[in-house]
Amino acid sequence: MLRIENLTKVFEDGTVALKDVSFDVKDGEFLVIIGLSGSGKSTLLRCINRLIEPTEGRVIWNDIDITAARGKELRRIRRQIGMIFQQFNLVRRSSVMTNVLSGRLGYANPWLSLGHRFSSADRKRAISALERVGIAEKAGNRADQLSGGQQQRVAIARALMQEPRLMLADEPVASLDPVLSHSIMQYLELLNRQDRITVICSLHFLDLVHRYATRVVGLKDGELVFDGPPNELSQARFEEVYGEEAQMVSVGGYAE
Amino acid sequence: MQDGDQRDSERPGRLIAGWVAALASLVVPGSGQLLSGERNRGLAILGGVIILTALVLWWPLPLLLLPIAAIWLWNVVDAYFLASGREIGLGVPIVLAALVIYVLGFNAVEFEVSRLQGVWTSIRPFVASLLDPELFTYETEDLSGLEPIQVPCVEPLPPPARNPTTEPNVIISVPCASIGDMIQVSGEGFFPEFEGELRWINPIGDIQRPLVDGVPVTFETDEEGRFAVTIAVPAAVPISQRPEEGETQTHAVRAEQHRPFGEPIPTQTLSLVIEKIGETIALAFMATVAGVIFAVPLSFLAARNLMGGNALTRGIYYVVRTIMNVVRSIETLMWAIIFAVWVGLGPFAGTLALWLHTVAALGKLYSESIESIDPGPIEALRATGANGPQTVVYAVLPQILPTFTSFTLYRWDINVRLSTVIGLVSDAGLGFLVIQWIRLNDLSSMATAIIAIVIVVAGLDFVSSWVRERIIAGRPLIATERPTLNTIFRLAGVAGFILLLVWSWRVAEIDLDELVAGAEDGLRITSAFAVPDLFDTPQEELSVSEPLPIPCGSADFESPEALDQAGDTRIELTPPCGNVGDELLITADGLPPQTNVSVRWQFPDGRFLRIERGCCMTDAQGALQLETTISPLLENLEVDPSVDTGGVGIVWEETAGRIRLSDSFETVVDLAIVTLLMALVATTLGSLFAIPLSFFAARNITGTSGLGGTIYYVFRTIFNVARSVEPLILVLVAAAWVGAGPLAGMLALALNNIPNLGKLFSETIEEIDTGPVEALTATGASRLQVLVYAIVPQLVPRFLAFILYQWDINIRMSTVIGFVGGGGIGQQFRVWVSLNQYSAAGMATWAIVAIVWTMDYLSAKAREEIV
Repeated sequence: MLRIENLTKVFEDGTVALKDVSFDVKDGEFLVIIGLSGSGKSTLLRCINRLIEPTEGRVIWNDIDITAARGKELRRIRRQIGMIFQQFNLVRRSSVMTNVLSGRLGYANPWLSLGHRFSSADRKRAISALERVGIAEKAGNRADQLSGGQQQRVAIARALMQEPRLMLADEPVASLDPVLSHSIMQYLELLNRQDRITVICSLHFLDLVHRYATRVVGLKDGELVFDGPPNELSQARFEEVYGEEAQMVSVGGYAE
Repeated sequence: MQDGDQRDSERPGRLIAGWVAALASLVVPGSGQLLSGERNRGLAILGGVIILTALVLWWPLPLLLLPIAAIWLWNVVDAYFLASGREIGLGVPIVLAALVIYVLGFNAVEFEVSRLQGVWTSIRPFVASLLDPELFTYETEDLSGLEPIQVPCVEPLPPPARNPTTEPNVIISVPCASIGDMIQVSGEGFFPEFEGELRWINPIGDIQRPLVDGVPVTFETDEEGRFAVTIAVPAAVPISQRPEEGETQTHAVRAEQHRPFGEPIPTQTLSLVIEKIGETIALAFMATVAGVIFAVPLSFLAARNLMGGNALTRGIYYVVRTIMNVVRSIETLMWAIIFAVWVGLGPFAGTLALWLHTVAALGKLYSESIESIDPGPIEALRATGANGPQTVVYAVLPQILPTFTSFTLYRWDINVRLSTVIGLVSDAGLGFLVIQWIRLNDLSSMATAIIAIVIVVAGLDFVSSWVRERIIAGRPLIATERPTLNTIFRLAGVAGFILLLVWSWRVAEIDLDELVAGAEDGLRITSAFAVPDLFDTPQEELSVSEPLPIPCGSADFESPEALDQAGDTRIELTPPCGNVGDELLITADGLPPQTNVSVRWQFPDGRFLRIERGCCMTDAQGALQLETTISPLLENLEVDPSVDTGGVGIVWEETAGRIRLSDSFETVVDLAIVTLLMALVATTLGSLFAIPLSFFAARNITGTSGLGGTIYYVFRTIFNVARSVEPLILVLVAAAWVGAGPLAGMLALALNNIPNLGKLFSETIEEIDTGPVEALTATGASRLQVLVYAIVPQLVPRFLAFILYQWDINIRMSTVIGFVGGGGIGQQFRVWVSLNQYSAAGMATWAIVAIVWTMDYLSAKAREEIV
């Protein structure tokens, strides 16, 4: 159970990214966050694992106050929360294997890991994570030799190394074409259904929302404007969240 | 090294047994690896061992054979494991090889920690003078007063040998004193509230400044023009000239004040500097304009797409390309030395050198831009029925003009920089003033010249970047609303350009006659350069001589045969004796046929004088005849056969022994290694310092506000300023610090590399992708882990690429810093040129070309591999 309480974020330049946002996420949910770019989706996700410090409010996960955690404690919390990104955020010059292994850094011996040494159990775990996303044969390649879809799968494998109980996905398919988008979303769905990993994912495209979400929250200008099951999210409500640009989204976005 | 762990995956394709591979590698390093199918590894081991051994033996530093032996042993183990299907890390041999190379490197640059001491004392005068250049001076009104004092005291004290002066008045507390006594000097009637200096004048009139604690004594007067100071009596007279016991000498103390008044007037230094600024700019301008004029037509001949048509044009293409590449890889300063021999020292030689290098460098850039033009528009215009020239004007020129312009401006910037330092080797421009004043130890004048260099470079950089921006943006340089004004401006621009050209022509002392007159010398030098003396045969100098009594009968020579050192050779003088001015016939036979011999007057003390220049060649029978008159120089010839003899001697050389590698070849190889190692050590030291410093100059590390922001700006500024100091200037400073030689060159390069690499590194750090940092932070990794896994992998390859690039530049630079005391092959080149040994100098040149090409190629390959 993840509880977001009165979360507010004001950036140094005065931009208000989040305004008093509160909601709960139950274990095993596939929660999709929708909203325009700049509506606060990324900020919200990053406040959960504290990549961004919230200005006010609390994030409580299984009775632990993440917002109060410091140093080692924070890193222990983070290693249980996987995250994937729009730009994949792989080290492009490192091998796929090294990228995947680096997901285990929160568990590894802090000094040995500086010499790129991992236990053989970790190496086996990395191979099986890559097998799970179907690219074990690329383990020795450099990350930048892979296509976008493959890179995102490496990123998922990296997150799997953390044995996460919660997965944050920040626009995971925005840099991919429609077919690859579905394949990546299916991996996330698999993790959600099989491993019972709670998924919080921000998305742009209405039909992806309908297809994968068990629940949807909508953000507009940093405020929560929608919270409910996907079938309640009609085109009209969608347009309400997206404002006058909704037309463009449905035309220029993911549509067949 | 980080992959030192053994990979346990079984390697397929085992070819041979482990012990076989180990044995093979024991005999020939790398062969076991080759047999196990690891071709690259085997070849690298073999090549590495051969090169390292050759270096160590050549040097020689036999102790370094130990690490090589260790590499050899490692290679045996490696072969065994490889054949058994396992792989061990390369850390050990890499560390050992680096050890060998760096020990050699530090040895080659004559590095000793003790030589680095006293940095501040040797550099302080430079820094101090840089802060206080000599720009203006004032007329002064002077006051001085003199008072005698007798040293030492005697009884009774005689009256002083000088009379005291009265106005202004100087008073010494005692009439006499001994060396080392403290005496009080006071005075009145001086300029009030103004400083002054004391002088000690000894009996012969030599003037020195009395010191207290090693500092010259100064005084400051009160409002009534009075002062009082205490000084110690100096030992102003050498011991040998000190008075006898009981006697005394009259010294004097002078107090003087120099009060400036009136308008500041520029010093001679300043007017010289201003004159040379003009010369510097003229040189750069002349060379650039003339360079463009020659480079444009040549670039068409060097463009593959235009010259690919038939065998003839392809041939021309290759010839032009090759010549341009050779010319380009010889540094401009080297050309300046060569041209100085041809046309004499001065601006003209400098201009020629700049011009030649410009033609080659621009020719290459231009031709590359021609090669990259889009054939589409040409095709399209042809299709419309346009003729050849029309196609050129409408389809070719618009494509190449912008790149030509920007390359030209780029070269202009380089030429400005070069013309400021070209004077270090040829008497032209600001560099000449710098080196001259350094030799005269006139540091404050030198500082003025260096500041002028910085101003000229920065100022012209600014102008050309302004022009460049305008051109890129497609805006005219000067634009007004009124078309007539525009026309006037344009005409004025053209007129200004022509005026500038004429002025530059004169300032650069362009003298084509000189070029023609020196052509013979030039050709001789060039051909000597082109044919380096790789081999020589040992020559033995043989001589015979015959005494010549002047006048007749002044000495008796019993046994002339005893002087004959060359067997059958015989000299006969007719007459056998005579007086100065008498005609003399010299005949000789038994000499080697068709050989140049030198016939000379032999003096008793062993000196000699060639009788005739360009003489003489023996005939086919080995005989020689020469008519001359007895030189007046022989008049005072006092012949004493028991000591030596005077007379006529013939000297020639004969081959003794077989052909062998020449001495100069060995020197060149030696110095080529020194040069490479010097560049390597400099790059390494520069990188080691630059890497940590670069983080302080990276905006994303320091932040832009508060303390971090301040650190960022301070480091950035230091980097930018330090980068603009030419390594050639730094060599001068380093030579003052550790003495001329490769260590000075290495230090200068390293000092130049730190800010250079620091800037490149910090920009790389600023450009890193923050995504992985975010992603790894999200996995719960610590800061250190994030650094190792997300930042370092991004930085390492780019840093390495920059380091290789810098090494490349350092190798080029290290060939020229020798000209001003930086050691290495450049220093030897200059020595050989000054000794007229052009073949040896030519070999040094070819060695430099070879080094530069090889390193260019290797580092380009390595960079491709890394990035």
